[in-house]
Amino acid sequence: MPEVRIIAKNFMDMVASMQAMKLDKLYENGFICEAILRSLPPLAKKYVIQMLHIDVPVAAKLLEEWVLPDGVSKHRVAIDRLVQLRVFLEAVDRKNEKTYKVNPTFQRSLQKLLVQGGTLPRESMPSNITVRLPTLENLEAYALEQWECFLLQLISPSQVEKPLNISSSLMKVFQRRILSHRDKEAPKLTESGFQFLLMDTNAQLWYIIREYISNSEERGVDAAELISFMLELSFHVIGEAYSINTLTDFQRNIINDLADLGLVKLQQGRKGSWFIPTKLATNLSMSLSDSSSRKQGFVVVETNFRVYAYSTSKLHCEILRLFSRVEYQLPNLIVGAITKESLYNAFENGITADQIVSFLQQNAHPRVAERVPSVPENVTDQQIRLWEADLNRVEMTEAHYYDEFPSRDVFEGACDCAREWNGLLWEDSKKMHMVVKTEAHHHVREFLRRQK
Amino acid sequence: MVNATKGVFISCDIPMAQYIINMNASMPASDKFIIHILDNTHMFVQPHVEQMIRSQIAKFREDNTYVKPN
Repeated sequence: MPEVRIIAKNFMDMVASMQAMKLDKLYENGFICEAILRSLPPLAKKYVIQMLHIDVPVAAKLLEEWVLPDGVSKHRVAIDRLVQLRVFLEAVDRKNEKTYKVNPTFQRSLQKLLVQGGTLPRESMPSNITVRLPTLENLEAYALEQWECFLLQLISPSQVEKPLNISSSLMKVFQRRILSHRDKEAPKLTESGFQFLLMDTNAQLWYIIREYISNSEERGVDAAELISFMLELSFHVIGEAYSINTLTDFQRNIINDLADLGLVKLQQGRKGSWFIPTKLATNLSMSLSDSSSRKQGFVVVETNFRVYAYSTSKLHCEILRLFSRVEYQLPNLIVGAITKESLYNAFENGITADQIVSFLQQNAHPRVAERVPSVPENVTDQQIRLWEADLNRVEMTEAHYYDEFPSRDVFEGACDCAREWNGLLWEDSKKMHMVVKTEAHHHVREFLRRQK
Repeated sequence: MVNATKGVFISCDIPMAQYIINMNASMPASDKFIIHILDNTHMFVQPHVEQMIRSQIAKFREDNTYVKPN
């Protein structure tokens, strides 16, 4: 099975991977603390609230006593997460016992937020200045259109009629892992690029934002400031106008990039200009699994493997081309067929059957989306998955074959040694033969040498 | 004295194993690649034959596919 390289991690994983100093600085902002709190698993949330007003370190043993025996694994996950995010600081006390205490910066910010309530650094503008605000539907349509335009420019720049103003250097950053540039050849989608296209909008957004942030240091932009601005942005109200003048110079630069991605809409009136956050922006601090923002689907798959996509978008056509044979294209309809060949093409490019099936299910046309299953079973389970399984019928591993063991003890010892390194592939205890992965070979060799 | 041989470990289903055994049998003696047939679904073969086996299987699969002309 091909490895999935693009992991649609969420924002908080990125926050967790930041340096301790920067993280502490982030926690000075109450909104970030709230966003972090929201993202935590339920048990972790409870611990934070419970410990919020305790200033002294609490022994790890005491914490463990709070849960019943069968909750221990959840307890571990919660504590790990809290320590990762530096919400809990781990220490060892004089009796050499582990203790936890809430990060003082985080504690102060969250206490303040709970007692005083949070106010955004800027208020929405009164409606007498902002005359023609878009309706929510218009705004959503705008965001999706902008996003689609961005995606199309990302994967095939030649097909875009009016390119966005994203600087070409920034575009290259986004394309870095999605397109492969060989000399003098047209850029080709990489394996992760194919997977990227099949993800849903939220996951794609995460990926792009992640690239945007992880590259920020190279562009001379402070990642912590960037993250804090984005999280702040996610607390703004969709469809309300906020004045550009309330932004710092730094944020003003960022907001232009975000407008190109469809996270905000910029508008100019007679008295100043303003930005309007769209659904994409407010989704940033939500978890990925939240699928409330699913857009309307457009694909109908029939039991005869025909695919009808009611779409005018070139992007959709490109995506369908990844795994089906597009047969004809009408102004508002793309007709294709899922064939063995087209699927093998997709598998070769590193797309998995599950990704294709979930793409078809997530984008099912409303007419078929209500049905269970939305994509015929004979297409998904019996063919797409079967054809994939057919490709993986043979598994090969580089290995070493051992025989002629002098005694059963040595043979069993060697087996255990290989098992310990997770390298035992096959054994025959009667004939005393075994096969060991190459990675574990030298451990076993060492073991046998010591036996002599 | 324990003896170790370098090679590739293959794990597959029974028909596929038979296909590989048949492939091995049809080779001239100098090119035979199976070192040990371990059981119904496992075997141990010479190193460096991985690509050859994979391409043979892919060819076999293609021969059994009919594609509707465009």
